[in-house]
Amino acid sequence: MPAISNFLTRRGAALLATSRIWRATLGLAGEVVVAAVSPAVYNSATRTVVMKQIYFTAVQILVPFTLFAALLSFVLIQIVVGTAANYGLSDYALEMVVRLLVLEVLPLVTALFVALRSGSAINTEVALMRIHNEIEALEDSGVDTLRLEFMPRVIGGMLSVLSLTAITSVLALVLAYLAVYGWQPWSLPDFSRVMGQVFDGAILTSIWLKSLAFGLAVTVIPVAEGLATPKMLFMAPISVLRGMVRLFFVLMFIEVASLAFKYI
Amino acid sequence: MERASLSASPPPPPRAPLIKNLEFKIGLLLALTVLLGAAFIGYALYARGAFQVSHTLVLTAEDVEGVSVGMPISFSGFPIGKVRRLHLMDDGKVRIELAIPREDARWLRQSSVFTLEKAIVGGARIKAHTTNLQDAALEDGAVRPLITGDATKDIPVLIEKVKSILANVDNMTAAGAPINQTLGHVETVTGRMAGDYGLLQGVMGSPEKADKVVKALDRANTLLTSLNGVSLKVDGVLGKADTRLFGQDGVMDQAQQSVAKVNALLGDVRESLKKADAILANAQTASKDVTKITGNVAEATTDMARLRLEIDDSVRKVNHLINEINKKWPFARDVEIKTP
Repeated sequence: MPAISNFLTRRGAALLATSRIWRATLGLAGEVVVAAVSPAVYNSATRTVVMKQIYFTAVQILVPFTLFAALLSFVLIQIVVGTAANYGLSDYALEMVVRLLVLEVLPLVTALFVALRSGSAINTEVALMRIHNEIEALEDSGVDTLRLEFMPRVIGGMLSVLSLTAITSVLALVLAYLAVYGWQPWSLPDFSRVMGQVFDGAILTSIWLKSLAFGLAVTVIPVAEGLATPKMLFMAPISVLRGMVRLFFVLMFIEVASLAFKYI
Repeated sequence: MERASLSASPPPPPRAPLIKNLEFKIGLLLALTVLLGAAFIGYALYARGAFQVSHTLVLTAEDVEGVSVGMPISFSGFPIGKVRRLHLMDDGKVRIELAIPREDARWLRQSSVFTLEKAIVGGARIKAHTTNLQDAALEDGAVRPLITGDATKDIPVLIEKVKSILANVDNMTAAGAPINQTLGHVETVTGRMAGDYGLLQGVMGSPEKADKVVKALDRANTLLTSLNGVSLKVDGVLGKADTRLFGQDGVMDQAQQSVAKVNALLGDVRESLKKADAILANAQTASKDVTKITGNVAEATTDMARLRLEIDDSVRKVNHLINEINKKWPFARDVEIKTP
């Protein structure tokens, strides 16, 4: 009996902790979004921090990531176009490529890449700040940590995801055109027709919303997880681990939800 | 600001100055992102025909399975418009509204026909067929029926037919099939035709038989030649017979002469008969004085006997003559002159 109650107590505590971290995450997301859209927040100090964060999360990785995305797109386009031609479905190859790459694969790959590179770094940084009581110290000295520490990182992450998604998607469209029609401009009307068929209002909205959600998740979850770290140094790696796992599930959940919204 | 940044990431204070042209790079990235986003939205709107003046074409159909909004309508394989709206009408038919860009509307004429084709693989296709491009243009908002041709519907029937055809072909091509045998025979015959006697050998079966036929023909030719000679001879004979029958001193001539002789003889016979009459009259007169004349009867009877002999003799001559004519005259009649 005591074992059962003990077990239940532990489960309940874990559940409460989980719900607390989710609440904290959502609360932080809300605060950051509110802060990001308030013009009053942007003084020269905030702007410089935001620019640095954008530089670290987006500009630094732009060229290598774009090259990688181009390679991935090229290989996938060749596979899809070749297979479609084998089955006599060349008419549908372009649509399939665009739906596969621009709507699903590239935003997800971009989000995962930014999560691995910047998300993990942010999580570690915030966890260490929390363990070393730096956040409290800043708050005590009158620094608005949300405005100067967390919001710039979130904005940097979101812009990073949006920019990289936009650039790689446009590149993928160009590659798809070249793969399907070759080096000539006369098939543009045909290409436009397929694009018009794929990108209706709902799809365009869903891409933007999905990319924004990815960008938000990639930065807000690590920050929230770092802020929830117990003040013990050995908890830092555990915090990063939890943050990354949660981030992965959230990204997948957003992806599945967007698929369900589009196709079900 | 610098303090906040440094405190946020404690270990690398010298990192910040390493960033050159920070603002320019960020500005470039943001501008690129915004530009790409805006351009893409603009392109998507253009591709969806937002900046295009389009005509409306309404098609009505019984069943639009496979048709979806955004589906293209094609003319000669080129998409010239797309389905804008689909809805079911009160009478159970489906109303398909298509948007045709104005520059493509010229392919549609009053006489255009619209079909919905369903393939085995891939989706359905709406096609426009215009045979006469000089016809009056189709007006905006025109309503036309959509003709549905379902290729898959006929497939089971088609397969059954093809199966029976294949079975027939199978029977025909099987070993020992009649057509095979026939072809074999044809081959034999044409093989023979290639021989020395050609077609004849093909028909007869072997060169020996064909040879016989050729020889028979030769013989027939010879026979005909000799028959020709014979007929020539017969002609001569007939000519001679003609001369004999109808010529000078021919049979007919002689027969004529004989008839003249008969006439003369018959004149004699008449004379004799007149004499007999006279005798009979004398006999009548004489019978009045029988007794007187009885003495003369014996004498008269002797005369009578002699007269009779004379008549008989004449008649015999005539008979003989007629018999002779009969021998020479082919158109014989049974003529006999008898004494009364």
